[in-house]
Amino acid sequence: MRIGVDIGGTFTDLVCIDGTGVLHTAKTPSTPDDPSRGVMEALALLAETMSLALPDLLGATELFLHGSTVATNLVVERKGAPLGLITTQGFRDVIELRDGSKQNRYDIRSPFPQPLIRRPERLEVAERVNAHGGIETPLDEDAVRTAIAGLRDAGVEGLVVFFVNAHRNGAQECRVRELVEESDWAPFISLSHEVLSREGEYDRISTAAVNAYVGPGLGGYLERLAARLAESGLTAPVLVMQSTGGVLPLDHAVRHAVGSVTSGPAGGAMAGALFARLGEESHLVTYDMGGTSTDICLIEGGVPLERQETQLEEIKIAVSALDISALGAGGGSIAWIDPGGILDLGPHSAGAEPGPACYGRGGELPTLTDANLVLGLIAPDTFLGGRLALDRVLAARAVQRYVAEPLGLSVENAAQAVNALASARIAEGIRANTVRRGFDPREFTIFSFGGAGGLHAAAVALELEFPRAIVPREASVLSALGFLAADVRHDYQRAFGRRMLDLTTADLRELFATLEVEAREALAAEGFEPGQMRFERFADCRYVRQVYTVPVALPDFDKGDDIGWLTDGYEAEYSGLYQHLHERDAIVVDTCRLVAYGALPSLELPRGENSGSDPTAAKRGSRQVYFGEWLETPSFWFEDLTPGMRLDGPALIDSESTTVVLPPDIAAEVDPYGSLIIAKPGDGK
Amino acid sequence: MSSIDPLTLAVVRHKLLAVTEEVVETMVRTCFSPLLNQSRDLSAVVLDGDAQVVAQAERTPIHMGAMPFAVRAMAKDFADDIAPDDVLMANDPYWGGSHLPDITLAKPVFRDGVLCFWVAIRAHQSDTGGISAGGYSPSAREIWHEGIRIPPVKLVKKGCVHEDWLRLVCENTRKPEDTRGDLMAALASVDVGVERLGALLDRYGVAQIQNCSAAILDAGEAAMRAHIRRWKPGVYEAVARYDHDGVATERFPVPVTITVGDGEVEIDFRQVGDQVASYLNSPIANTSACVYIAFFYLCNDQQVQNEGSTRAIKILTRKGSVVDPVSPAPVTGSTTFAAAVIIESVLKAMQAAAPDAVVAGSARRFRYVIAGSEPEIGSYIYHYFSNKGGFGANNNEDGWINVGGFQNPGGTPSASIERVEATYPFQIEEYGITVESGGAGKQRGGAGGVFALRYRGSGSAALNIAGEGTVIAPFGANGGQDGDPHAIWIERGSERIDLTGRSNDVPIEPGDLIVHHSAGGGGCGDPKERTRALVERDVAYGYICEETARDMYGAE
Repeated sequence: MRIGVDIGGTFTDLVCIDGTGVLHTAKTPSTPDDPSRGVMEALALLAETMSLALPDLLGATELFLHGSTVATNLVVERKGAPLGLITTQGFRDVIELRDGSKQNRYDIRSPFPQPLIRRPERLEVAERVNAHGGIETPLDEDAVRTAIAGLRDAGVEGLVVFFVNAHRNGAQECRVRELVEESDWAPFISLSHEVLSREGEYDRISTAAVNAYVGPGLGGYLERLAARLAESGLTAPVLVMQSTGGVLPLDHAVRHAVGSVTSGPAGGAMAGALFARLGEESHLVTYDMGGTSTDICLIEGGVPLERQETQLEEIKIAVSALDISALGAGGGSIAWIDPGGILDLGPHSAGAEPGPACYGRGGELPTLTDANLVLGLIAPDTFLGGRLALDRVLAARAVQRYVAEPLGLSVENAAQAVNALASARIAEGIRANTVRRGFDPREFTIFSFGGAGGLHAAAVALELEFPRAIVPREASVLSALGFLAADVRHDYQRAFGRRMLDLTTADLRELFATLEVEAREALAAEGFEPGQMRFERFADCRYVRQVYTVPVALPDFDKGDDIGWLTDGYEAEYSGLYQHLHERDAIVVDTCRLVAYGALPSLELPRGENSGSDPTAAKRGSRQVYFGEWLETPSFWFEDLTPGMRLDGPALIDSESTTVVLPPDIAAEVDPYGSLIIAKPGDGK
Repeated sequence: MSSIDPLTLAVVRHKLLAVTEEVVETMVRTCFSPLLNQSRDLSAVVLDGDAQVVAQAERTPIHMGAMPFAVRAMAKDFADDIAPDDVLMANDPYWGGSHLPDITLAKPVFRDGVLCFWVAIRAHQSDTGGISAGGYSPSAREIWHEGIRIPPVKLVKKGCVHEDWLRLVCENTRKPEDTRGDLMAALASVDVGVERLGALLDRYGVAQIQNCSAAILDAGEAAMRAHIRRWKPGVYEAVARYDHDGVATERFPVPVTITVGDGEVEIDFRQVGDQVASYLNSPIANTSACVYIAFFYLCNDQQVQNEGSTRAIKILTRKGSVVDPVSPAPVTGSTTFAAAVIIESVLKAMQAAAPDAVVAGSARRFRYVIAGSEPEIGSYIYHYFSNKGGFGANNNEDGWINVGGFQNPGGTPSASIERVEATYPFQIEEYGITVESGGAGKQRGGAGGVFALRYRGSGSAALNIAGEGTVIAPFGANGGQDGDPHAIWIERGSERIDLTGRSNDVPIEPGDLIVHHSAGGGGCGDPKERTRALVERDVAYGYICEETARDMYGAE
C-alpha cells in the first residue's frame, strides 16, 4: 500500500493505492496553523472510508509520499528564518544588487524585492579564491569567529556562506562550517557551492539564501509530521516531493529545502507524465486551472520538460525544476472593464477570501466562477461536495453590474464573454509554451485538471485544434496521485567550465564516475539495491560568447576518447531549439549534472472492463445551461461513469470538485482508466 | 463599428497580442546573435492598414513607439507598389528609423486585394558596419560613419528573397553570417506572424478584425485621455541636460514646454538647440518613442500601450534640432543616451501637473570597454554592463537598486563577475552598494553601486568609456533630492586618475584598479516626511549615516 498526501492552500488531498490496486481518496480542509494536523485528519478520514483502524492503515503503508506548500509559503509570505551571511570582502551586497534585471519593464512602481538577508547581518571576511580555484587570500579565521559570534547574538537561525568562485574550490566555505561547529552555535547552514555547484555569484547566493530561509521552518514541520505519523503507526520513511518531480527522504529534503519551494505544481505534472505513459501519448500538455492561476507543463515522451532556474517573487532559484509556467487566470480571476472600455480577465483574483461573489462572503466583483455559475455550468448545490452552497443571484448581480451593464449585454451574454475569454487565454498560453520550445501545438494532447479545468477543456481543445483532451477521473486529487508515480531522485552537479575541444571522453567519464560514487552511496544508504538505481547524465553546454546553456544528455560513455560525439550531441540540441549553429565559435562544457534515481515500485492504475457505451447509468439529472441559447442539458456523475460509455454534448459531468462541460456537437468517451477523452467533432469513435 | 461584439473584442485583443508574442518567440528561437537570443533586444508589433500599432509584444520600450514611423515610411515610399508576400526592410533614421543597428522588417497582410494589416519586427543587430564595432562611436560625425544605411527596400518581392541585397547588407557588417542568420530568422518570424494573423482574419472575417483593431486603438486613446484629465491643466516647462554634447558644449540643454489641456497634451521641443556633431541626436521616431515611454510611465497602465493612446499626445519639434535632426547627423546614441535625457525632460515638466504620478530621475546609461590581448586568450574586448545604478523613487516606493535608466529598466541581465574573471585577465575586488548615493526623499532614490576591477593583464590595455551622467545627477522630484552622478577613476599605486563619461583610449597598466561608482536614483517627496521607521532602517542598514538622518531627514 502506498499513500500520497498533497497539502494545498485550501485542501489537503490524499490518494491511496491498496494492495489490490484499488484507488482510495480523501479530501479535507487544510490547517495552515499546523499543516500536519490536516494530514492526520485526512488520514483518519481515509482509514474510515477503508474501514481500517489508523494504525493498521499506516502499519501496512510501504511508501508515504508527501508534498506541501510549507516551503513556498515561507518565501511568499516572507516568514522564513532570520538569516546571516558570511561572505568575501567586497561582496556583501551581491544578493541585493541581484543580476540587474527586472521582469516587467513598464511597471516601475512595484516595490523593490527586499533581499532575504538583511544588510546588517551580511558580514564580510578576508578570503579570496580565483577563477581557477587557486587561493589568493587565505581565510581570516579570526574574522570568521567574530562574525559567527555576531550573527549568533543577532538571533540568526540560518547561516549562508557565499565566497566568490567557491564553485571552483569550496574549501574555505567548508572551513567556515567547521568553525561554526567548533562554536556553541548550531544554525541551519547553506554553503553556496554545496547548494549549487555552478558558476554565477547571484544564482548561487540567491539559491543558498532561499535554502537557509526555508530550511528551519520546513524541517520543523516535517519532523512534527513524521513524529505524529510514527506515533500513529507509520514505519515507512516519509518521502518529500521536490520541484524536479522526484522525492527525497526527509533528512535530505530538509538539507536541500530549496528543492521543495517550487514543488507545488510538480505532482500534477508527474500525474500527467503517468497518464502520458499509460495512454502512450508522445506529446501531452497539462493544464491545471485552480483558483488564481493556470499551470501549464509540456510532457514529451512521458517525461515533463525541465528548466534550471525559476523566479519566485523576483527571487531567483537556480535548481532543477519541472518547467511549469503559470498564467494569471483561474476560477477566482476577476472580470473587469479596462479604462478603454474592453473586457478583461485577471490577473487580480478574489482569492479564497472574500472569494467569488457567489460564495456570499462579501465579494462583490465578478469572477470567472461567477460567470460559469450564471451560465449554469457549475451546479450550485454540489460544489465542493456540497460543503459550499453557491449563490447564483449574487453571481448574476456581480456579472450584471460590472460586466453586462457597462458593455450593454444581457447577463448571460456577459457571462459567456468572460467564459470565452478564459478559454482563449488558456489556449494562447498553451500555444506560447509549445512554440517557445519549438513544438507545434497541434501535436499535443491536452490533459486538464484542477477545480476549473474541466469547464474549459473542450473549448481550449477546439481553440487549439488538438486531436483530443483528457480529463482524468481523479482530477481533484491529481497532484497527490502524481506523487505515487515518483521515484527518489538526487541531483548532483559540478562546475566544469572547459572548452570542448580541450576535452577527451575520459575527462568526463572521470568526473561523472566521482559523482556516481557519491550518488550510489546516498542511494545505498536509503536501502536501494544497485539494480534499482538509474542514472542520467547531462552536460550543460554553451557557445563561448553565450550566457545560457543547453543541456545535452549523455546516455553512456561507451565511446572512443575523441569528444566529437559530444559536439554532435550539442549541435543537435542547439539546432533543434534555435535552427542554426555557430560553427566557428568554441563550445564550453559549463556544468556537468548527474541525476540519480532510486526506483520505487512502478505504479499501475486499475483498468476497468468495457461495459458498453450507454451512459444512462451515470445520469443524475439535468439543468439549464447557456450555450448561446438556454438548453436543458443532462448531467452525469463522474464517478459513476464506466469504461466505454459515450457522452454526446451538450452534457455536464459533475463530481465533488469539478464539472466537465461538453458543448453541443462535442463527444467524449470513457477510457479503461476512467478518464474522459474529449474528441474533436468528427473524430469521435 | 457600433455593432462590435464585446466578447469578440475581448478575445481578439488577446489573440492579437498572442500573434506578437509568437513572432518574438520564433525570433528568439531562431536568431543568431547572443544579443538577440539571450538579451532579447527585439520587439514585434501588429499594425493596421494605416500602420498604427494595435498590439505589441512588450520587450524593449524604446522600440515600441518608434516602429510605426519605420513602417509608415515604408508604406509611403512604396505606396501602390506593395504586394502580398513582399517583406520590406529599413534601418535608416532619416526614413523613419531610430539608429542603424535597429533593423525593421515588415510584412503586409492582404485580403481581397486590400492591404489591411502589417506584422513587423525590429531587432538590434550586433554590428551594422561603421567606424567602431557595435556601432556606438563617439567619434562619428556623420551618419555614414555609423554603418550601412538601409532606406526602405523590398528584401522579399512576392515571396522571392532578394539574395543580392541580403548579401550587400551582410557584407557591410563585421559579422556577415550573424547578420544573415538574424535577418533570415526575422523573415521566418514575420511569416509566422502573418500566418497566425491570417488565421484570425479567416476565422473572424476581415471586417470584424478591423473593427476590433479600431476599437482597441479607440480604447487606448480613451484611456490616455482619461489619465490626462486627472492631471492639472496648464503650461509647464523644464530643462533636462546632457553632460556634454559630445564635441564642444557642457551641460547641453533640452528644454521642453508641456501644455496639459482637456484630455490632451502638447509637448513642445521647438526651443531645443541645433543638432550636434556627435551621435547624441535623436531622430523624430526615437524622440516620439521617448515621449510615449514617459507618458506610459506616468499612467502605469498596460491598456494605454497602443498607438491610439498617442492620439492624445502632440509633439512639436524643429527640423534640424537635436530632437529632430536632419541627415547627415549621427544618431547611434539616440536610443540610450538621448532617450534618457528626453524622457527626463518630460517627467520633470510633468511633476507640477501630475505630482502623484511622477517618477524621479534614474541613473543614465554608463558603460565602458576594455580592449587588450593576452597570450593565453588572444585579443579580447570586454563590454561592461554591470553596476547599472539606481532607479528614481515614486510617490509610494523607494527606487530600485541596480536596474539602470529610463530607456530600458532592468532590461539586460549583467554578466556574472565569476564569468568575467574566468574569461578576462581581471579580478573584481568590490561589487556593492554605495552609501548615501540615492537621493533623499520621502521615498528614497535607488542606491548606486560600486564596481572595482583590478586589471591583471601582462601588458597594457585600452579603456574606452561611453557614458552619460557623470556631470548631471538624476533629478529629485516633488521636493526629493538629486541622486549622486556616476563617477569613474583609475587607482594606480597612490595616484588617482579621474575620468569622464567620454574618456577614450585611456591606457591601463597591470595592477590598475578601475573604480566605477554608478549614479543613485533621485528621491521623491520631502525627506522630512519619510517614515521614522524607514529612516531608522536606512541607518541600521548603512544606506545613510546618522548625520544625514538628522540633518536631511530630521531624525531625532
